[in-house]
Amino acid sequence: MKVACRVGAGAGFAGDRIDPAVRLVGLGEIDAIALECLAERTLWPALKARAQDPASGYDPRLRRRLRPLLPPAHARGVRVISNLGQAHPEAAGQAIAELGRELGLTGLRVAAVVGDDVMTLRDRIRWVRSPEAGRLVGAHAYLGSDPMAQALAQSADVVVTGRVADSALFAAPARQALRADEQALAGALTVGHLLECSGQLTGGNYEPIGGAMLAAAGYAGLGFPWAEVYDDGTAEIRLPAGAPGVLNTQTCTLQLLYEVHDPARYATPDLVLDFSAIQFECLGPGRVRVSGARSKGRPPDLKVAGFLELPGWVADCEIGFAGTGAADRARRAADVLRLRLADWREQDVAIDVVGLDSILRAASPAAHVSPPEVRVHVSARCADLEAAQTVEDEVYALTLSGPAGGCSVRSERRARIEVLDGYIDHELVRPSLAWSRS
Amino acid sequence: MNLRVGDLACGRAGDKGDVLDLTLVARDAEAYRVLAGALTPQALRPVLNRVVPGPVQRHELPALLALKFVLPEALPGGVYATLRPGLHWQKAAIWLLLDLYIGQDGLHWVAPSDSSSGDCP
Repeated sequence: MKVACRVGAGAGFAGDRIDPAVRLVGLGEIDAIALECLAERTLWPALKARAQDPASGYDPRLRRRLRPLLPPAHARGVRVISNLGQAHPEAAGQAIAELGRELGLTGLRVAAVVGDDVMTLRDRIRWVRSPEAGRLVGAHAYLGSDPMAQALAQSADVVVTGRVADSALFAAPARQALRADEQALAGALTVGHLLECSGQLTGGNYEPIGGAMLAAAGYAGLGFPWAEVYDDGTAEIRLPAGAPGVLNTQTCTLQLLYEVHDPARYATPDLVLDFSAIQFECLGPGRVRVSGARSKGRPPDLKVAGFLELPGWVADCEIGFAGTGAADRARRAADVLRLRLADWREQDVAIDVVGLDSILRAASPAAHVSPPEVRVHVSARCADLEAAQTVEDEVYALTLSGPAGGCSVRSERRARIEVLDGYIDHELVRPSLAWSRS
Repeated sequence: MNLRVGDLACGRAGDKGDVLDLTLVARDAEAYRVLAGALTPQALRPVLNRVVPGPVQRHELPALLALKFVLPEALPGGVYATLRPGLHWQKAAIWLLLDLYIGQDGLHWVAPSDSSSGDCP
C-alpha cells in the first residue's frame, strides 16, 4: 500500500475562508489542494454576470482567494484544483495565468476544463419534471475526474473548472498513482466527498452529544482537513498539526452521509458509490482511517443542473420590538399583518416572530423567559415588484399604526430561482482542456 | 421513559433542491437500538409534517451507528423559494429530530414536564 496523493481541503463553498488553505499549504505536508467554490446555486449569479460581460462569469473572489495561495503552492510544488471557473472556466484560467505573472510566478501551467455547459444540448436533457412556467437560464452537467486527472498528468500546476462533482475535485490528484481498479477510485471519491465541505469535517457545524462547543478561537482558526490517500483507495484523514478542530469517527460519519440520499447508491459522474460497508477507525487525536468504499459501476448518465428563473419575487421583511413586553407587542403586530394581508393566498405568505418560532415553527421549544427583543418576520411570494413594495410598506406602516416601538426595519427581495435536475448521456458531453501560461 | 433524541445522538441536516436530509449518529449500540426502534418513518411522518411536508424515508447503517432520514418534498422549490427569514433555515432542521422526545405515547417535541409551563409569560 503506497501513498497515492496527499490532498488538502482548501475551501468548501464560494465564500469560504481563505487563510486555512494558505496555512495548510504552508505545513508542507500535501501534494495538492482542492478548493470547492461552486454550490448548487452559485452558478446562477455567474451566468448573469457572463450574460452582461462575456469576459466574466468566473468566481469574482478568484484573485482574492488565489493571491495568497499561489506563491506558497508554487514554491512547494503543490497542485491547485478548483471549480472557481463557475460559468466561464476558460476566462478563469486566463485570469489565473495573469495573476501568476503579476505575482512573478513564471511558467505556471494553468488548465481550464471546459464542456460542462450543456445549454446547447438542452433538447437532449431528460428533466426530472417539466420546467413549468420558468425560464431556463443555464444547464450544466456535473463532470467527473477524468479531464482534471488528464490535465494533472500533463503537468498542470493549476486546474480550474466549471461544474464538476465536488468529490472529483479531490479525487483527481490521486488518479495517476491510484491502482487501476474501480474500488480504488471509489475510495478516492469517498475521500473527496469527506473533504468537500472543508471545516464541516473538522468540527464546524458539529455539536457533540452533550453540547460542548469549541472555544471561539477554535472555530475562528478551524483547521481544514487533509487526507493521505493510498493507492488502494483507503486513506487517513488528518486535522492539520497544531490547528484547532475536532476530527473523529462522528464528524466523519456525519460528513459521509451529508446530502447523501441513498448511502448504498451515491451517484457521482465517475462511479456510483456504495457507502454501506465504510469503516472509520480513530488512530489518535485528529487522525481517522477510512476504508470499505465500494463501486457499483459507472452511472449511465451525467446529472445536469438547470437554472429556472420563475416570475416574481420573494419579499422578506422584518420589524423589531424591544423592551418589556416585546414578545407580546411582536405577536400583536404579527396578527395585525395577518389582517392587513388577509386577501393573500395562505401558501404565499409566512408571518412569524424571529426569536420565538420563525425557523423550527411547531417544533420550537417554548421560551420560559420573555425575550428582551424579537422581530416580526414576513416573507411573501410576490407576482411583481409592486406586490413586493406593498408587503414592505405594510411592515413599515406598523411603525406609525401598529403596537408601540416597532423599529429596526429591514427588507430584501429575492429573485425566484429553482434548480431543476436532469440527466444527459455521457457520450454527448465532451470536456476538453484550454491551457494558459504565466 | 422520556428520552430526548439529542441526548442519544448527534446530527446534521443537508439539502439538495426540494430534498431535506437528516443524519443521526448514535452515541453507542444501545442508543442506536432505541433510536432505530422509535424513529420509524411511520412514527416520524405525522410529527415532522407539522413543520415540513411530504414523506419520510429511512436508511439504517448499524455499523456506523447512523440513521439517515430523507424527506424528498420537505423544501418545496429549494432554498431560494423559502418563506422563512433569510436563506438556509434547513441548517437548523436537525433539531426537528434532536429536540424530539421518545415517550410512551409516541414522539413529541416538548418534554411532558415542560408542557404545563407553556409559552413565554
